[in-house]
Amino acid sequence: MARRRRTSSVTEERYKSRSVAEMIAKHGEFAGFQNPTRALYQTIRELVENSLDATDTKKILPWIHISIKEESRNSVNGARPWYIVTVEDNGVGIPVTVMAQAFGKVLFSSKYVIKQTRGMFGLGVKAVTIYAQQTTGSPIEVYSSTAESQYVYMMKIKIDMKNNMPKVLEKGDWAKKAAWRGTRVRVKIEGDWKKAKSKIIEYVKRTAIIAPYAEIIFETPDGTIYYYPRTTRKMPEPPKEAKPHPHGVNVEDLREIIASSKARTLKELLVSEFQSVGEKTALEFLSKFGFDPDMNPKELLKREKEGELVKLVEALSQFKFRAPKSDYLSPLGRDIIIEGLTRMFSPEWVDAVTRPPKSYKGHPFIVEVGMAYGGAIKPVDEPVLLRYANKIPLLYEEREDVSYKVLKSINWKNYNVEFPAPLIVLIHIASTKVPYKGLGKESISETPELESEIRNAVQEVARRLKSYLIKKEREEEAMRKAEALAKYIPEIAWSLAVLSKPPDSWTPPTPEEVNMFKEKLIDIVAEKVRVVGPGGEEVDMKKLVKRVVDSVELE
Amino acid sequence: MSGEHEHFIDKVDLEARRRAAKVIYEKFAPVIKDVLAGRPPKLVIPKRTLANTVFDPERGILVLGEEMLEREFLDLGESRRFMQTLLMAAIIYQSLIENEYPTIRDLYYKGKHTIVYRDLRGRRQEENTWDEQKESDAVIQDVEVFTGLFREDMLILSKEKGKVVGNMRIRSGNDVIDLSKLGHGAYAIESTADLIEFIDVDAEFVLVVEKDAVFQQLHRAGFWRKYRAILVTGSGQPDRATRRFVRRLHDEYNLPVYVITDSDPYGWYIYFVYKVGSINLSYESERLATPKARFLGVQMSDVFGYGSKKPYLSDSERKKFIIKATDRDVKRAKELLKNYPWIYKNPLWKREIEIFLKKKAKLEIEAIASKGIKFFAFKYIPEKIETGDWIQ
Repeated sequence: MARRRRTSSVTEERYKSRSVAEMIAKHGEFAGFQNPTRALYQTIRELVENSLDATDTKKILPWIHISIKEESRNSVNGARPWYIVTVEDNGVGIPVTVMAQAFGKVLFSSKYVIKQTRGMFGLGVKAVTIYAQQTTGSPIEVYSSTAESQYVYMMKIKIDMKNNMPKVLEKGDWAKKAAWRGTRVRVKIEGDWKKAKSKIIEYVKRTAIIAPYAEIIFETPDGTIYYYPRTTRKMPEPPKEAKPHPHGVNVEDLREIIASSKARTLKELLVSEFQSVGEKTALEFLSKFGFDPDMNPKELLKREKEGELVKLVEALSQFKFRAPKSDYLSPLGRDIIIEGLTRMFSPEWVDAVTRPPKSYKGHPFIVEVGMAYGGAIKPVDEPVLLRYANKIPLLYEEREDVSYKVLKSINWKNYNVEFPAPLIVLIHIASTKVPYKGLGKESISETPELESEIRNAVQEVARRLKSYLIKKEREEEAMRKAEALAKYIPEIAWSLAVLSKPPDSWTPPTPEEVNMFKEKLIDIVAEKVRVVGPGGEEVDMKKLVKRVVDSVELE
Repeated sequence: MSGEHEHFIDKVDLEARRRAAKVIYEKFAPVIKDVLAGRPPKLVIPKRTLANTVFDPERGILVLGEEMLEREFLDLGESRRFMQTLLMAAIIYQSLIENEYPTIRDLYYKGKHTIVYRDLRGRRQEENTWDEQKESDAVIQDVEVFTGLFREDMLILSKEKGKVVGNMRIRSGNDVIDLSKLGHGAYAIESTADLIEFIDVDAEFVLVVEKDAVFQQLHRAGFWRKYRAILVTGSGQPDRATRRFVRRLHDEYNLPVYVITDSDPYGWYIYFVYKVGSINLSYESERLATPKARFLGVQMSDVFGYGSKKPYLSDSERKKFIIKATDRDVKRAKELLKNYPWIYKNPLWKREIEIFLKKKAKLEIEAIASKGIKFFAFKYIPEKIETGDWIQ
């Protein structure tokens, strides 16, 4: 299960029994590749997310190099431009034994190919392979090597659509001279950089925000290079392996579980393949719904037993099992959110919260919220929202998203924020099953449990922002006051020195006499204007007042 | 009080300086004491606002009310003015001690510094101690009310505007001047009118004319000799010295004071400045205003007649001399009638202004003089004084 870390646990396997042709027919244009603009964007996503999975699941500090180049070709007028997209990482690498299938067989799953199973649409990188061969007729080119391997392997792969089998057009291997490990994928596709440009640049930026531990280099077709250096070596904990919770499976999931399980009885299946189910619970559950504990679960895969299978899924969702475990969720963590926001936006204030796990319909989830305020951030009319689901930036359909709706409903004045304000809000939802709105998976629906948790998280951080703003306001006012008074001290000190001597024995005031009055006045101002800094510490006002006074020059 | 040139300065002057410096020193001593003791310093100053300006009907002058203002250094709204007041006081104090004669313009320049400083964010900031002279002039007024000293008392000079001739002798500085022996010229009333010593005065009344040209005509025509008058002009809006001079003649010799101005709201206002003082500077009225000054003319009724009173001008003369009142004149006249009790409570003034509003016509003194200086000097003025045809 560890391999399914970025998105739903079992989404893709539901297609397992269908052919590629069937799948594509069902979805028409498969999601994410409906036009050249989205396709270019989606290709980058699939490859970059694979690279991130190949690194941070094994706690490798990621190095990712992305490049998009326009292919110069003599083509008829009006033909769409082709792009060569290359993404290279220093991740775990793909063993040569599974390389062809990983890129060339839809719904192939293997415990090694962690990254393929987290793809957004259940197709993962194979969608890229299909799109490339459909638009430019070229194969996907993969170089990879694992740490243990003595060789670097290369393959050029296409998919035999009819039989859903990889077609390797070319392959090669080289003895490794240096200790290189990682994967480099190169693909030629039709695209529209001009239209996709802003979204792709934003996507890479947002990816970098929540991965300050990664070094990311992005070369655009325009020749611009975006470089995001690594600013921390701290990485989030990789998710632990976990089995599905009985409340969280559907018919297709269950079919897949049964197919891959070695359990010989129904009772054994429940105990070994699910979390929160012990022997006692399993027996109690099976007898309550009238299933035979000793039945061979493979029986349920037979076509005539379809009804039984459905009944079992319904029963699983009704029975009161222990709440799902959440330790296989992988939140970003407060430190990484703070670091990411700080390095990208240079705010004057930043904070974040990782809420305790909650669940909806058997799916555990964690909400994380980060906020950055002021500093280099430009004031705008509403908070800038950065949405993430399972560490993937969501860029489209913002206004449809539950997070947007929650932010919109917050009365920011209650938190001393008056728009236009320099406020960025980052919201991350980690879940084994993110309740996306549509097939596009770009926005999250208003699930009540989720909505209330997002609200709690936003309010929690907003309250901290408020207390910062109050302190800041107080401090600034005191500072302004100190300044407004301090600047007059030299003139007043001189005047007092002049007036302090009786007419009959008057002499022009000496610098020492003037200084004496200055010191007295500084004390009076410092005494009156007391400031407690945002950290709760008393500010040395005397020093500050003196600094202003000493800076005064009279012209 | 040192300086090698001191022996050229007359004694009256030196004594005045000494007096003023002492007052300033004593007035500011408590402020200095506060600062030395670490207490936030403040100045308690009578308010110079319109709301704190009251008409004292008994004395017939405008005076400052009882309201006081606490100008605290630590009060952000007052700190700048606090600094300015101290700065101005110090400059005046030093000038007094060092035998200087600053004008208000000099004081403006002496105290005008640019305070350049770095704020707490390190940005360079600039602020002038004061920007325009209007600002420093107001600060001088603060020092005046705070110390109870007038600018003349502090030897602050201003442009001399007032002129006087007549049968009188005065001492100014170390010199005795006979104001009847100045030929066609006249004595320019010095800024420090209180330092003038009246030696002897031989006169029946004081005649104040608004305009310098009319003053010259009357002087050359021998008016003051014939009627034993002291003839004064303030050349338009009178300065403080001229007003103080007139007031002293009235107080010290019990001479009636007659004022002749243009017959329009602006001329009336000048008369009222002699009589009750100006609203802006009500604190000085006590010494500058002459509440019993009489408005001799030119009255509206002199032009148009009223009741049984015959006009001094024939129909054809009137047509020739009167000028159509402007909208501003009319507006100003209505304000006078509405805002000032010493005007609307006086039936004669009400009559004057009502005629004005009805006729919408005004007339300059020169118009009467144009009828012939002899008519003006030897008929119009004496006849009106004799018959009591004036407003007080």
